[in-house]
Amino acid sequence: MRITQRAVTLTSLQGLNQNLDSLGKLQEQLTSGRMLNAPSDSPTGTNRAMQARAEQEATAQYARNISDGQAWLNQTDSTLQQMLDVTRRVRDLTVQGSNAGALSEVSREALGKEADSLRESLLGLANTTVTGRPLFGGITSGPKAYDSDTGAFVGLVVPGSEIYRRVSSTESVRVDVTGPEAFEVDGLDLFSVVDRIATDLRTDPAGLEQDLEDLDLVMNTMLSAVADIGARSARMDREALINLDQGMALGTRLAEVEDIDLPNTIMRLQMQQTAYEAALSATAKAITPTLLDHLR
Amino acid sequence: MSTFSGLNAATTALWANRRGLDVTGQNIANVNTDGYSRQRVDFAAVGGSTVPAFFSTSPGIGQGVSADDVMRIRDAFLEGRGHTEHANNAQLIAETDAYELIEQALREPGTTGIQKMLSEVWSGWQDVANNPADTAARGQVLKRMETLAGGLHFSHEQLGGQWTQTRENLSVLVDDVNAAAGNIATLNVAIQRARQNDLPANELADQRDVLVMKLADQIGATVRHGKDGLLDVSVGGMSLVSGGSATTFKLEGAIDADGTGTDPLRITTDVGDFSVRVGGTAGGQLNALNTIIPGYRGQLDTIAANLATEMNAAHGEGYDANGAAGKPLFGTSDGTPITAATIKVMISSTDEIAASLVPGAKNYDRGNADKIAQLATGAGVDAEYRTMIVELGVQSAVSQRNLDIQASITTTVDAARESVAGVNLDEELTNMLSYQQAYAAAGRMITAIDEALDVLINRTGLVGR
Repeated sequence: MRITQRAVTLTSLQGLNQNLDSLGKLQEQLTSGRMLNAPSDSPTGTNRAMQARAEQEATAQYARNISDGQAWLNQTDSTLQQMLDVTRRVRDLTVQGSNAGALSEVSREALGKEADSLRESLLGLANTTVTGRPLFGGITSGPKAYDSDTGAFVGLVVPGSEIYRRVSSTESVRVDVTGPEAFEVDGLDLFSVVDRIATDLRTDPAGLEQDLEDLDLVMNTMLSAVADIGARSARMDREALINLDQGMALGTRLAEVEDIDLPNTIMRLQMQQTAYEAALSATAKAITPTLLDHLR
Repeated sequence: MSTFSGLNAATTALWANRRGLDVTGQNIANVNTDGYSRQRVDFAAVGGSTVPAFFSTSPGIGQGVSADDVMRIRDAFLEGRGHTEHANNAQLIAETDAYELIEQALREPGTTGIQKMLSEVWSGWQDVANNPADTAARGQVLKRMETLAGGLHFSHEQLGGQWTQTRENLSVLVDDVNAAAGNIATLNVAIQRARQNDLPANELADQRDVLVMKLADQIGATVRHGKDGLLDVSVGGMSLVSGGSATTFKLEGAIDADGTGTDPLRITTDVGDFSVRVGGTAGGQLNALNTIIPGYRGQLDTIAANLATEMNAAHGEGYDANGAAGKPLFGTSDGTPITAATIKVMISSTDEIAASLVPGAKNYDRGNADKIAQLATGAGVDAEYRTMIVELGVQSAVSQRNLDIQASITTTVDAARESVAGVNLDEELTNMLSYQQAYAAAGRMITAIDEALDVLINRTGLVGR
């Protein structure tokens, strides 16, 4: 094949351009820190990166959901504990009232008054709110779960509308316990039983025996609600850990697909640089000489 | 045999070698000129009469050298191959460019693309599910849906802008092609006249070849050589230049990207409206205008429409903050079918977000918000969008690889063309030396004959003087 100066120049130039092109690509990867800059760089990698990104976003959201749910559960737990304390005091009063048959009228009235105020405090606790919503009110849009005077449930409970928090793409954990679930059993409810105790303390000490039985039943329900909340809280904590792991795994996965392998890229850049310099010096050597150099 | 015939032969040698030096000079001068074909002087020994007759006899010795013809060295087959490969190369460049622009318009994978906006919408719905009573969460999801609609508009518009720009480029290209065709016709006439008068027209032919190569790049032209140095140019079987006359082409079809379905772009002959199957840059751009860009715009439209259908259906199953059934979330301002360009968030009040699944009076159920947030998983819009991006990536990567392959083929053919037609300085210098030597030798020859004649003329017949 006949080789001409122009052909040598053109092929040299083309080779140099190719070298510079790969050098530029490596440099771009190093400075941006990213291997994937367009879908065509790696279509499958792009798919994985997009999936990982979407999942990362979702995982961050699940983390928010979980901490929100934990706040809700903790509030429910501490409220129920306080209510149990108050209820135990009511029980003490009831026992006191039923044992001492020789209590004076005045002492009975005092016991009745205390029971009344304890009932009020119970109702106040039962209307505790989290971010403006009553804890035990179900999905009600009103401010209260129980009427402060009558003690009647005014929340809204519809089967299938319990309050959940989504903790992963497949799992949801229930975070609420409704008033009827926590304070009612077999047609008895905490507030009417305490109301009855307050009345019986004053007028009918004999009825207190039955009241005590009923109160114990209601307290058992509350205790099992507390246990339930505790179990869910533990599950929430576990989900939080899983979520954290998931978040880290996703970060690694995304980095694997999108980010450059630093040592590898630097090595390649170094090699490419050497190749480029070699090409430059080869070109300089190949282009200069002609027969002219050797003619007088 | 004449006394002076030796002198005559030497004179032709002087003249021929001067001619050789001149041509070498021209070659060296044009060593870097684009499209220049090296030239060579054809030497021929001048013999005796070809038809001996009584008064026209030869002594048996030639009468010098003739150097009339200056040949232009070029391989017509390689040129033809060059045209084809250049056209393929240009077409692939145009298509690869189109894909690259689409990739830029969609900005994936990254934190500014539609994928991110979708993710944020789903997150926003979960925030609503966490606290349906919170107007801030409701307002946030509303704004995020508006951002998503805006993102769809933007990408759609970018593709539309790319389309318009490509169409403009193509229309300029067609004008350029017509002008080049006119020039080729003019050159054809000049070359024909020169040939008929037996004058060299090598430089004109070089100019014409450059124009033809440009046409091959731009529109995929092929050539046919005629007699008297004429060159006919045709595109996809349609004649563009025939001898001294050129026809013109024009660009026809839709003037905006939405019209390509019914009125695809095409290049036709100005006279007769015959459609021309073009290659080269024009072919690539036509493909981008008729298939590639409208294809991705259409896919974006489908995604927007599916997004609206899915979310409207889910939203309709819920109840808003006032207990009313959920209204459609997405629609268009004038009720036309939803596309990526027209999609719009139809609700404006945070109360109208249907987070609840419980009918009747106002309540703070979260069921529907959670259900809408769950549209993110499974074979929803997200997956559809990802599929589209992956498909774009595959097509773009394939196009780039094809271009790489084609580029190396084109380079090989160009190198082969160059190896035939290019100027090699070493060769020229060698030629220069040999012409120089031959010239000196011819000069010496004249001196020798001159001396011989001098003896004859000035020194004979002097005996006894």
